[in-house]
Amino acid sequence: MAMLDTPTLKENIDQETVDKVRALDVDKYKYGFETLIESDVAPKGLNEDIVRMISAKKEEPEWMLEWRLEAFRRWQTMEEPSWAKVSYPKIDFQEISYYAAPKTTAGPKSLAEVDPELLATYEKLGIPLKEQEILAGVEGATGETATPYGGNVAVDAVFDSVSVVTTFREELAKHGIIFCSISEAVREHPELVKKYLGSVVPVTDNYYATLNSAVFTDGSFVFIPKGVRCPMELSTYFRINEKNTGQFERTLIIAEEESYVSYLEGCTAPMRDENQLHAAVVELVALDDAEIKYSTVQNWYPGDKNGKGGIYNFVTKRGDCRGHRSKISWTQVETGSAITWKYPSCILRGDESRGEFYSIAISNGHQQIDSGTKMRHLGKNTTSRIISKGIAAGFSDNTYRGLVSAHAKAKGARNFTQCDSLLIGDKCGAHTVPYIESHNSSAVFEHEATTSKISDDQMFYCQQRGLSEEEAVALIVNGFVRDVLQQLPMEFMVETQKLISISLEGSVG
Amino acid sequence: MRQTMPVRLSTAEETLIEQLKSLGNEAEAERISVAGLPTRRVESYHYTDLKTLLKAMPPLAAPANEASAPALRVPGAYQLMIANGAVQSAGTAPAGVIVETSEGTSLSTRDDVLVHLNGAMAKQSLNLTLEGTVDCPLQIDRRIEGAAAHSASSARVFVADNAKATIIETCSGSKAAHVGNHASYVSLGKNATLTHITVDLSAEEATHFSTTEYELAEGSKLRSLVIHAGADLARSQVFARFAGEGAHADFTGLNMVDDGQHRDITLDVHHAVPNTTSKETFKQIARGRSKAVFQGRIVVARDAQKVDGKMMMQGLMLSDEAQILSKPELEIYADDVVCGHGSTCGHIDEVSMFYLMSRGIPKAEAQVMLVRGFLEELIEPIEGDELREALNGVIEGWLQGGIQ
Repeated sequence: MAMLDTPTLKENIDQETVDKVRALDVDKYKYGFETLIESDVAPKGLNEDIVRMISAKKEEPEWMLEWRLEAFRRWQTMEEPSWAKVSYPKIDFQEISYYAAPKTTAGPKSLAEVDPELLATYEKLGIPLKEQEILAGVEGATGETATPYGGNVAVDAVFDSVSVVTTFREELAKHGIIFCSISEAVREHPELVKKYLGSVVPVTDNYYATLNSAVFTDGSFVFIPKGVRCPMELSTYFRINEKNTGQFERTLIIAEEESYVSYLEGCTAPMRDENQLHAAVVELVALDDAEIKYSTVQNWYPGDKNGKGGIYNFVTKRGDCRGHRSKISWTQVETGSAITWKYPSCILRGDESRGEFYSIAISNGHQQIDSGTKMRHLGKNTTSRIISKGIAAGFSDNTYRGLVSAHAKAKGARNFTQCDSLLIGDKCGAHTVPYIESHNSSAVFEHEATTSKISDDQMFYCQQRGLSEEEAVALIVNGFVRDVLQQLPMEFMVETQKLISISLEGSVG
Repeated sequence: MRQTMPVRLSTAEETLIEQLKSLGNEAEAERISVAGLPTRRVESYHYTDLKTLLKAMPPLAAPANEASAPALRVPGAYQLMIANGAVQSAGTAPAGVIVETSEGTSLSTRDDVLVHLNGAMAKQSLNLTLEGTVDCPLQIDRRIEGAAAHSASSARVFVADNAKATIIETCSGSKAAHVGNHASYVSLGKNATLTHITVDLSAEEATHFSTTEYELAEGSKLRSLVIHAGADLARSQVFARFAGEGAHADFTGLNMVDDGQHRDITLDVHHAVPNTTSKETFKQIARGRSKAVFQGRIVVARDAQKVDGKMMMQGLMLSDEAQILSKPELEIYADDVVCGHGSTCGHIDEVSMFYLMSRGIPKAEAQVMLVRGFLEELIEPIEGDELREALNGVIEGWLQGGIQ
């Protein structure tokens, strides 16, 4: 019967675009395999004992446990948010197991001690964990599948609730950089964790962030000391494997004065009939003159053709430009998850700080995406830029929801927002919900959502050189898209090149 | 497991519940006592938190026995008056205009608190049927007279097939802290043409709520203009539905907000059928410590192909304490449409100011000139010199109110 329900396409959409989006369709999910490995799984349900158990498993100090318990108590008084344009059956938080770890991962000290089954899993996913070989330049060490992870990338691999291995740690330590799992950081660098954890996303921030604060299991911790430019890309690869579990990752990145880091995040999960929950919190802190570049290729299992299964991705990501002239840039390519609820934001606190958000969100099948960003201008002469491209196909709904606000003290704040959407087929929906809040007269905000806004000057320039109107538009728009994609680190180009040439023909605001 | 917190009711809410009970509307009283007035958590009231903003609720309006001076005179217009919710007898109607009254509100059922309250309170509705070409503008003059009162009024306008008319509605009254809740249901027949203007000129202490519903049949043309120039707290809601192909509407609005005021224009345009077009142009201008709100949404239904919608919000801030908040939304389910929205917000262009001042024009005057230029786009397309002049008078009055 599904055939009868196939969406019909209008003619003027570029066939190449359609093919490229189809290649990403839900039934083409190639990371859907499951690793059969013995795991330690916590009993289903959520109560104080589970929180205590997670804390004990992680060998956490007392203060961390208190922090978690406080979050848990708070969470019990909160209500699930309902404002997003997504619909799903009510989640039974007592039906989920909050901790799962491969049995053999009791703290491997080196790659040699990691379960070969796990290494094989990552190899299959194309994630390079063989640091010696990569360092030695052994050919093929990066795996055969075309993935964003080539070349010199330090990887923290998180499998269900634990980090199984972090590569290049010694190499990075030489520069004073700390790159480890958050559990290790809690034990080994408590002063840094105490100082920064929850300082960007407060424990009480929102329903899912509070839940995460109570039960977070693993994620990465990055600390770049003053004046250091991180010599390689840092990366975390998240994998959900176990059934009926949720993954609650927590990432904290701190860039001290005048430092720079580029961080990549990737994620996949096996194909399962039931929905799985992924509620992450990511916090970034940039001090004076520091720059953090955070890129994500989100590829969780999106569910099958009929919308069965898939990951519920409820994520709170926020960067704090705490220092003057600091810069945080979010780049995301969203193709996975049954439901995405994600708003990577920037708090522009330092004077002349800058926030950027570049996003390509592609929804297929029965996926629902409600994603966007928040740019909160608090400091003087802060600037931000939002470029968002949403592409909806199949039966999906794709919403851009973004907030731009300027505080009364944010003199000279400047924002430019552009969001375009493209509908492929007549059974999907594309929505735009911008919130624009200006609290002072020297702030200048521009928001536009039409391709017709290409400047007449540029059009005239191209056309008087003999290009047709369409060619001129294509040229200008192409240049503009390229601009977005250049924000991606080299390693991600492979994955996203597939999307580069998606045309904007027939696009709507 | 999770407890729901009981809603703490404000004095205004408690008075409102009493009033609804005295009107015999238990269902509505129950609804308010359970949920209270909408807070910012209710998405459509995100920027206008009625629970906090509505400080007091005056007693229900008694019949009016005096009349204040008309707030706006439109020369040559046929006047109809609704005072404290009751339709007043009017002179002989011009050709093509049928004036009637009916009981209750004119609005359809919609899940919105202001619509519910109007439904509970409006006793009488003014019904206008317009046929052929109506030569003179029709003015619906809504008043709240006497001491501070809570009053609802309602009007229904049916523009017959091929008819053409211009309606201007004004809301005003005596100087008191009234709470007015006004409703209009406007239906355009096939190929009908209507210009519909709503101007709020309520007293400075007053609260003004208004809801206008439009229904557009095949080939009809509408120009709608909402002007906020009165009231301490104002919210005008415009809900439009395209029901016939080939219809076009221009939705425009001017939100002028002064020190201490909060004014909100909320628009929801539903393109339910293919081949319909709409253009939304809204301007907000704020001075002093004030809040100007615009929420706009264009919805294009699943099969409504070939829809063209363009929404634009432009905000101008004349002081540092002012706030301009806007939310221009698109919700699109059809794939062959052209919809766009834009939003800009800033202060007066310094280069233009310099240009004018370097030519000897004093600062204040230069500002007024630039603001006038900024607003002209909205008034210019209105037909009828006298009507345009009257509207310009309203804007001018506000501008002279002092620009820093």
